[in-house]
Amino acid sequence: MNYIENVYICMAAPLLLAILCLRREGRRSLIFLLAGMTACLLSAYISAFAAGAAGTDLVAASYEITPVVEETMKSLPLLFYLLVFEPQKKNVISGTLLVAVGFATFENCCFLITYGTSNLTRLLIRGFGTGAMHVVCGMVVAVGLFFLWDQVWLRAVGAFALLCFVITLHAIFNVIVTQAGPVFWIGSLIPLTMVLVYLLLFRRRVSLS
Amino acid sequence: MIENLENTLQLAVLLCCTAVATVRAAAFKSRTWTLLALFFGSWVLGDCYWLCCAVFFGETPRIPLISDLSWYAGCIFLYTLLRQVSPPKTRAERRLLPWLGPVFTAAMAVFYLQWGQLFSNLVYASLMGLLLFSSIRRLMDADPACSHRMLCAAILIFCFLEYGMWTASCIWEGDTLRNPYFWFEFAQTVFFPFLLPATKKAVTA
Repeated sequence: MNYIENVYICMAAPLLLAILCLRREGRRSLIFLLAGMTACLLSAYISAFAAGAAGTDLVAASYEITPVVEETMKSLPLLFYLLVFEPQKKNVISGTLLVAVGFATFENCCFLITYGTSNLTRLLIRGFGTGAMHVVCGMVVAVGLFFLWDQVWLRAVGAFALLCFVITLHAIFNVIVTQAGPVFWIGSLIPLTMVLVYLLLFRRRVSLS
Repeated sequence: MIENLENTLQLAVLLCCTAVATVRAAAFKSRTWTLLALFFGSWVLGDCYWLCCAVFFGETPRIPLISDLSWYAGCIFLYTLLRQVSPPKTRAERRLLPWLGPVFTAAMAVFYLQWGQLFSNLVYASLMGLLLFSSIRRLMDADPACSHRMLCAAILIFCFLEYGMWTASCIWEGDTLRNPYFWFEFAQTVFFPFLLPATKKAVTA
């Protein structure tokens, strides 16, 4: 059995101390990372509870319940940031990505503790597949928000629609990676392919930094 | 079998449409094209999830909420696109006809409640009602030479095909070509690419 809250405390402690010491952008970035990790921890609890309540097994829960819970939890820190601080466009966009990175990092740590570190192929798939998927979902929201920022109503409606969009994207990925053989390998390449498409089409036009 | 083939065909058409809209969004850094790309993308994801469950697990999704979320997002993006190309007038003339849209969707929602779930019926009725209301009002307000008339008409056709499909699915006549559901779905597949020229006309005007 894994005590993920213990892992969380171990990983969050240095970040928390650094947050106290840093100022402005550095502090904001670390807060987003920590928020992503916290969202991951809470998602694990909520997903497990929802799967138990719905009576689904772990595999079915991975594509029916987990995407909804994880993407919603990832959006909550940003929603709070948007509503309370009235931030600038570039801060929200980089924040979206940093929350996703924090989420993926904590999830990868839990994966390492559960499955060990001996199988490099599995870890590569984890890192560039499942882990990267969180970053891709964050990137989709970030690029979407970049284009839908100007008016408040557009931002609000767009953020909700983008959340729905990434939930389905995440669910499809989870369905595909539960399969074996070539389907699994193709599925694992989806996040990398999407990053390549972003680099080819949008990088020069959409600044996410 | 026919349903899977039809879904695959629609997915292929939608993927092409998404690619075209995405390239235009990137090339022109245009919000309108981004919204259209997101609309197509949402529909692709909804269809793809449905198809994946059908192919890999041999059944339609046990919890259809995931596909529905994507289609809700599609409707929201389409409405946003319409509002983007034709912002609402501050002093619009009050007309009765556009209200037929929400009345129709509400009546249909009550009818669909015999089969569907309350929540998804309410959300679809609201979104479709909004789309119908906005496009009818803009069609009535616009001049005959107005650039966004084609997009409004396209959205009306889209809503009509969706309702045709939903109604046909209530009286399911099996996985055969005689099932009107497949006619509507095929018509929708053929119709999707027409949103591209309709948007182009609205943008370039």
